[in-house]
Amino acid sequence: MTAAAAPAAAVDPQRRRQRRLRLAGAFVLLAAAIAYLLVEGLGSSLDYFDTVGQAVAQRSSIGSSTIRLEGVVVRGSITRTATGADFEVAGQGRTVVVHNTGSPPQLFQTDIPVVVVGHFAGRTNVFVSDQIMVKHSATYIAAHPTRVKGPGGTVVR
Amino acid sequence: MTARLTRWTGLAALVTTALTVWLGLWVTPPAKVQGTLVRLLYIHPPVAWVALYCAFGLAALSSVLYLWRRTRSLFWDRLGAAAVEVGVVFTALTLVTGSLWGRPTWGVWWTWTARLTSTALLLVLFLGYMALRRVPASPEVRARRCAVAAIVAFVDVPIVSFSVDWWQTLHQRGTVLNPGLTLKVHGSMAWTMGLGFLAMTLVFVWMVLVRYRLEVLADRVGDEELEVSLSERWAETGGVPSPPAAVQAPELWGGRR
Repeated sequence: MTAAAAPAAAVDPQRRRQRRLRLAGAFVLLAAAIAYLLVEGLGSSLDYFDTVGQAVAQRSSIGSSTIRLEGVVVRGSITRTATGADFEVAGQGRTVVVHNTGSPPQLFQTDIPVVVVGHFAGRTNVFVSDQIMVKHSATYIAAHPTRVKGPGGTVVR
Repeated sequence: MTARLTRWTGLAALVTTALTVWLGLWVTPPAKVQGTLVRLLYIHPPVAWVALYCAFGLAALSSVLYLWRRTRSLFWDRLGAAAVEVGVVFTALTLVTGSLWGRPTWGVWWTWTARLTSTALLLVLFLGYMALRRVPASPEVRARRCAVAAIVAFVDVPIVSFSVDWWQTLHQRGTVLNPGLTLKVHGSMAWTMGLGFLAMTLVFVWMVLVRYRLEVLADRVGDEELEVSLSERWAETGGVPSPPAAVQAPELWGGRR
């Protein structure tokens, strides 16, 4: 500690300040470069999903690779099948038909935003998926604002 | 004075937590869409609030105050260490309660979406801080290293915070801390959540007070143990400190205040 400080003190303060300034400059430049690379490189890859609008627009480049697709479940489109559910998701004025296998999560319902994992079938706009995730909103409203259910389903108020 | 403050904070934390549990589990109604799952709203956001802003905020602030020459004191180092340790516990709780909420609502326990990934990174970063504290060094060197580490790790806090606004994530956007700061929770659910925030903040204050005292006591024990072992060595060699002891523990010699 003291051994390292001794030669530094021998250098005159002007040059030491200059050296420190240059070091700080290099550090800032390096940090800016890393930040730039992160933003450029990661950018949209940090997005968890493609919206229906984005996916339909980039349909040809997506091909049949696996993606996460986000859209709102279209009212009246849900048909439960033996292996899962068929439904439509909509977003930005576009609609995609989804064939899902596997059991949907308990909040899965009409008019709710969902993220489905899977791929487009062949050259069609039909999406084959084996996982549904429900993307609920940050809005919380009481189910029945005027009454509260007590234990055993009895109405308290 | 501090003992009394600690006791009263602990008592207030206990009372508000109990009230939150009662209101959250029995009084508040089930919600539209989420049903009874909404009750996690009274615990998960308050726990995350404490971890991100209270604990790591305090840790970063005390680290800056330690590094700033005019306010440099081991008080800030100990306070920062206490805040980080409590923050790590609360970050882990955030991940656990979030996971428990995610399974029934989203359908998955865990997924690598921006909000979740950056929060997991935060836990690892501050676990690294705690590991750094155990690296042998004099108290001053350790304090400086840890202060720098805490400030670097704190960079992840705004990333966690804004992740839901910057990128498309599975996690919904802020319930309270959203652009426009509009509260999207209604009626009794809103003020129960508010009480949850107060309760968890009080728990945090209490834990930091207790943890700070532990840090002071641990330092004192360390000093006394050193003195005991030194006097033992002096007794062995007949009043002259033996050279090997001095060579083996130079950092302890350097670190004596």
